[in-house]
Amino acid sequence: MKQNKKRNGPAYWCLALSLVLGSSLVQAQNNFTISGKVTDQSNGETLFGTSIFLKGTDIGAITNEYGFYSISAPPGSYTLIFSYMGFNEVSKQVVLDKNITLNMELVEFSTQLDEVEVTAEEPERAVLRKPEMSVSKLNIKTVKQMPVVLGEVDIIKSLQILPGVTSNGEGSSGFHVRGGAVDQNLVLLDEAIIYNTSHLLGFFSVFNADAVKDLKLYKGGIPARFGGRVSSVLDVRQKDGNSKNFEMTGGIGAISSRLALEGPMFNDRGSFLVAGRGSYAHLFLKLAGEDNSASFYDLNLKTNYNLNKNNRLYLSGYFGRDLFDIGGSFSSSYGNASGNLRWNHIFNDRLFSNLSLIYSNYDYELNINDFEFDWVSSIQNYNIKYDLKYYFNDAFKLDFGASTIKYVFDPGQIKPTSPTSAINELQLDKKRALESAVYINAEHKLTDDLTAQYGIRFSHFNRMGGQPLNDYANDRPLVYNSTLRIYERQDPIGETIYSKSESIETFSNFEPRVSLAYQLNEVSSVKAGYSRAAQYIHLLSNTSAVTPIDVWTPSGKYIKPQLSDQFALGYFRNFKDKMYSMEVETFYKTVDNRIDYIDGSDLIGNNTIEREVLSGESRAYGLEVLLRKNEGAFTGWVAYTLAKSEQRTPGGNAGGPGINNGEWYSTPYDRTHDISLTGAYQLNDKWSFGANAIYQTGRPVTYPNGQYQYEGVSIASYSQRNADRLPAYYRLDVSATYRPNRRPDKKWKGEWVFGIYNVFNRKNAASISFGQNLETGANEATRTAIFGIVPSVTYNFKF
Amino acid sequence: MKPFHIFYFCFLLIGVSCTDVVEVDVPEAPPRLTIEASLDWERGTTGSDQTILLSTSTPYFAEQKIAPVLGASVRVTNEDSGAEFVFEDQNNGEYTTSSFIPVIGNTYTLEVIYNDERYSATETLVGASDIVDVYQSIEDGEDEDALEVNVTFQDPANIENYYFLRFKSEANLFPELYYIKDEFIDGNEFTIYYEKLADEDDGITEFQPGETVDIAFYGISKQYHDYLRLLVEQYENSGNPFSPTPVPLVGNCVNADNPNNIAYGYFRVTEAIKTTYTFE
Repeated sequence: MKQNKKRNGPAYWCLALSLVLGSSLVQAQNNFTISGKVTDQSNGETLFGTSIFLKGTDIGAITNEYGFYSISAPPGSYTLIFSYMGFNEVSKQVVLDKNITLNMELVEFSTQLDEVEVTAEEPERAVLRKPEMSVSKLNIKTVKQMPVVLGEVDIIKSLQILPGVTSNGEGSSGFHVRGGAVDQNLVLLDEAIIYNTSHLLGFFSVFNADAVKDLKLYKGGIPARFGGRVSSVLDVRQKDGNSKNFEMTGGIGAISSRLALEGPMFNDRGSFLVAGRGSYAHLFLKLAGEDNSASFYDLNLKTNYNLNKNNRLYLSGYFGRDLFDIGGSFSSSYGNASGNLRWNHIFNDRLFSNLSLIYSNYDYELNINDFEFDWVSSIQNYNIKYDLKYYFNDAFKLDFGASTIKYVFDPGQIKPTSPTSAINELQLDKKRALESAVYINAEHKLTDDLTAQYGIRFSHFNRMGGQPLNDYANDRPLVYNSTLRIYERQDPIGETIYSKSESIETFSNFEPRVSLAYQLNEVSSVKAGYSRAAQYIHLLSNTSAVTPIDVWTPSGKYIKPQLSDQFALGYFRNFKDKMYSMEVETFYKTVDNRIDYIDGSDLIGNNTIEREVLSGESRAYGLEVLLRKNEGAFTGWVAYTLAKSEQRTPGGNAGGPGINNGEWYSTPYDRTHDISLTGAYQLNDKWSFGANAIYQTGRPVTYPNGQYQYEGVSIASYSQRNADRLPAYYRLDVSATYRPNRRPDKKWKGEWVFGIYNVFNRKNAASISFGQNLETGANEATRTAIFGIVPSVTYNFKF
Repeated sequence: MKPFHIFYFCFLLIGVSCTDVVEVDVPEAPPRLTIEASLDWERGTTGSDQTILLSTSTPYFAEQKIAPVLGASVRVTNEDSGAEFVFEDQNNGEYTTSSFIPVIGNTYTLEVIYNDERYSATETLVGASDIVDVYQSIEDGEDEDALEVNVTFQDPANIENYYFLRFKSEANLFPELYYIKDEFIDGNEFTIYYEKLADEDDGITEFQPGETVDIAFYGISKQYHDYLRLLVEQYENSGNPFSPTPVPLVGNCVNADNPNNIAYGYFRVTEAIKTTYTFE
């Protein structure tokens, strides 16, 4: 799929867009529009996903990420209904004889303030109708109610109890969506790419729940406006900050604490939010005489300024850092940093736009004091993005836009830290690339019962020059040695130096995305979707779990872009007047050009990654069932996933049978069964309770199939990759939240959260290692369990 | 420098983790010939006495760790000079010769015939670099209060060198194995330390004054380095989530008659510097 369409691609699309827009303006003349913004009355935060509709009609809209909506209808008198889960429904009489701007403030149900709920993006009425599928949206209040380990609210862990989302075991970074790898998730915090979602190797997520407004996970059916990853998109949005009152929220826990400040500024034309978090357990370790320490901190910032009714600016930022120190002989720090400047502009009551300038960076530093050198590596990107939404009419809405990302990869440099260091200075070749895309997507109501969402993304990747690249005989960096039966790294036969103005390689892809929703009756619907996505950058990781020191690498001469195709089919139904709902989905996903690592691959500090990898494919398929109780004192859900995820890597150009003899093998994150139950019970005003129960098939691993003696030790022999499994994983967590009497006149509101993680103290194997007992010499299997029973107490406050 | 290993350590540190020995059912592969043919020419000797060990693999949890192979025929040929060295069966899995002639840079071929299958391997004798110093210290290493022994060697500039360094304390059952390449240290003096961290569960104590450590330092081929790297990594870290998935180790003893039945082990020909250090 290597096409050189860079010159005419975007121009062609611009032309196409203007034609579509031009014709839509003509067709829309008979209607008038109502548009505006929906906010939370208590703090001025915009409400994403509010449903607005004209009573007695099928005409309606959903607010976008910035709270904006637009509805068009023929002239007449209407009752306009605003509804958002957890807020009082508002109805408003309107006479539509001209275009109207109507901003609305919604008020939270006081009684439901603390209830657990999984907020569907809009009331079920519309969920059935909207073609969007394979999407999980969690309200931050829901996340905050789930029992947590170590008393820290964790967005990533909350996602893992939804169907189709798993982790690679306790204490491992990232998450897996529908049998995809960690690097196949596009994780965005206020549109900026986050490269590492975990603090302390997976014990905490990088998202501070006090700074997050909402999050949405696209497991499939990824809208055309997103691209660059083949598995999923996690779109996390920070709060704008309370625009009405100053407010302080915080929490004190045993491991970490957090504090957030927010309030109006710029004479009420804007607001701000500053949130910080830090761990201090390492201080206790130091006091206890422990030489080793681990800690993290992070900072979220956001501010916005209302220029006038049609223009608003947002500035947001994130900075997080993890620090490790092992007895002074080794230390490490790593983290993400990002910033985003946005300009929301409303052209008119139908056309909404947003321009974003985004920077993001991930870097790490290892200080190997024993050998007197530092090792640093980073990935940086600069992103400019322009997104538009056109509300053509009730039956037709259009999203379109363009984006370009400039990447700079620094795979690593070695810096000796003293003149006596035995290590030579080294800079691996820096890599540069430009990833651009244009897209257009329509939401189209074809008939009263059938709605479609269809779009296309055209992406282009330019691996830029400015670096040398090895040449190999016959373009083969690896060759299979059929005598020894191993892949052998080839010595380069020369080097080509590419200047900064040259391209090493370019790639282009059309990525169609289509989904359909057909409403069977008032309470049920079926949906189907297909999406194709391209991924141009790859995380080099040959370990079972990703590590913070894994390095990203762009596609180029030797590594091709990953391409995925996903098909999904779903059935959705509400029961008992929407008290219960059921979602059943199946999916089948294939990924081409998934890189895999030869036996004995060495990825760190390697300038010639092409000599360590082969190109393969992966596939995943499964069935997901989600059954929820949405209302009442007791709410919760059961999620079940039955799935398979595997990969295969033939020898290809390098010859030979390939990795694992070219046979399919389970990916390290394949989980056959994954069941989770989550429940919450509101006893009274003071007490509420929560519980999670989780069962998962064990992680695929490779066990030894024999032993032999060599160099005086017992060496294990292995055969098929990932043919065995760790024992099944299960645990139960409970939590209780206590809110002391709150006097209405008192601003201070406090609550105690008591939690017990892994109530049965089950020793779930995070890993099983094989080795010799150092005293007896006998071979033995050693299980490592990360968390036994972990009680926690956190005090949260707000004033 | 094993960052994965270090991260695993961090991982255990921050978790409320615990480890215990468990029973696990593991698959069982048929026995396979293992060839430990390490022809090491110790500097300062003639190198004429050499032993090759033949055994078969056993099930992973079998108490019998070593199943000696008797009745095989073992022969090494110097491809440059044509000299042939026949190794005699000692009927205990050892095959020996006392007439081996090592020559740095010469290529040797091993031939083993066992169960009517012919195994062969080729390797070039690689010279070792000079050890500059062997000394003890306390403040270096991971633990500032524990003794460690240091080996300093001089790497020659502008040529690729690969080394194998083996420590074996008299107080321990098992050796400590290091594989070294000069990619990042080319032309420099380099020091490797061996420090034992006390671990009550494993019965390991720090080095004590009077304790003796055998040290062997080998010059090795690139291919053997790659084999050894995987062997040591898998021996030390198999199963932890921050290490690569364990894979079959493939040595250089190929089986011409039954290519699928490649032998475990390796045929190496090296120059070795051996010394003993006693802590003061």
